[in-house]
Amino acid sequence: MSDAKKPPNERLPEAEAIERAKQGDASAFEHLYNLHKRRVYSLCLRMTANTAAAEDLTQEAFLQLFRKIGTFRGESAFSTWLHRMAVNVVLMQLRKKGLAVVPIEETMGGEEESPKKEPGADDIRLAGSIDRLQLQNAIGELPPGYRTIFLLHDVEGYEHNEIAEMVGCSIGNSKSQLHKARMKLRELLKTSRAEKATRP
Amino acid sequence: MTCQEFERVLTELAGEFSFEQERHLRTCLSCSELMSDLRAISQQAQFLSEDAEPSPRVWNAIDITLRQEGLIHDSSPVRSAPPGWSRWRPVWLVPALATALVISGVILHQRTKTAPATVSQVAASLQSPESTMVPEEEQLLKLVATQAPALRASYESDLRAVDAYIRDAESSVRSNPNDEVAQEYLMNAYEQRAMVYEMAMDRSQP
Repeated sequence: MSDAKKPPNERLPEAEAIERAKQGDASAFEHLYNLHKRRVYSLCLRMTANTAAAEDLTQEAFLQLFRKIGTFRGESAFSTWLHRMAVNVVLMQLRKKGLAVVPIEETMGGEEESPKKEPGADDIRLAGSIDRLQLQNAIGELPPGYRTIFLLHDVEGYEHNEIAEMVGCSIGNSKSQLHKARMKLRELLKTSRAEKATRP
Repeated sequence: MTCQEFERVLTELAGEFSFEQERHLRTCLSCSELMSDLRAISQQAQFLSEDAEPSPRVWNAIDITLRQEGLIHDSSPVRSAPPGWSRWRPVWLVPALATALVISGVILHQRTKTAPATVSQVAASLQSPESTMVPEEEQLLKLVATQAPALRASYESDLRAVDAYIRDAESSVRSNPNDEVAQEYLMNAYEQRAMVYEMAMDRSQP
């Protein structure tokens, strides 16, 4: 659709929408919401694996954003600011519910800490080929602590020092959990592929 | 170096390997495949789609909350109003309707305490979920249609749903006049209708 055919709000540059939103302009708020709702909702959905919870958290993240929009000075990108707020909202909710965000600091090493191996799955090779939909499903099956670290690092692109600060763990723990999350995902993907191969 | 030692290193170095580790990778097919799989998982994760969209109720709830907190207001009209519009702007309609609804709900609630419905009355109310709308609602929908015709059907559907909810809640209260949960349901139902009216009024403004 060409620019001329878009409704007026869709042609509004983000910077201008932010300034108007600071003045309380309802349509500017809605424009900012429409620009960023997918990314925020996707983040919340992946971290909670629950659509109702994800919608509630999306609502809360945007409410916090709009209440504080007057303080936004533009030192970072607006999307970065919003994204960080959404992550904090989700983490706070996970903590409130008592879901383990990250397991207690643990010593590294020891076979018993590695994900258990499913019989038969070792015969299946991923060969570096990963189906995105299967990966998405596998992420939903991860324990909450592993899922949080994996999403923050590999999906959302945060560094370990940032994750450690947000989640309240050490950098070493963040790295360890990430590795275990990837190993668990590998196991889940192999199992999924093995099941598919044996289906008539 | 054994495979177990190599895997232990993976957790610490995040991809940076010593000469010995590189040599193990070159000679061990199993660890080489492991590395390849873990890298593929990490890379594919960056491209996971962000197609999922929250339902419209999320924005509606945000909109209502921000208005209640006085943080947002409608912007000034982009185009000039139709002739004669400025002489009559039904901005009084929403609060008046909302007040009338709440008052009628309270009066009805008081009446139901002394006059519980008969079984036939309850059955009759439940059999007509698609009954005609009250004149005020028709008028409101006409206003919405003048400014946002595409939304008329959606608001009509919302109003019918909330009216059905109110009828259901009213019949519960008639059947169980002392049930506080049923009474609370009924008050919530009236509040929901007032919210839908308010949103529809917003859409009806130029």
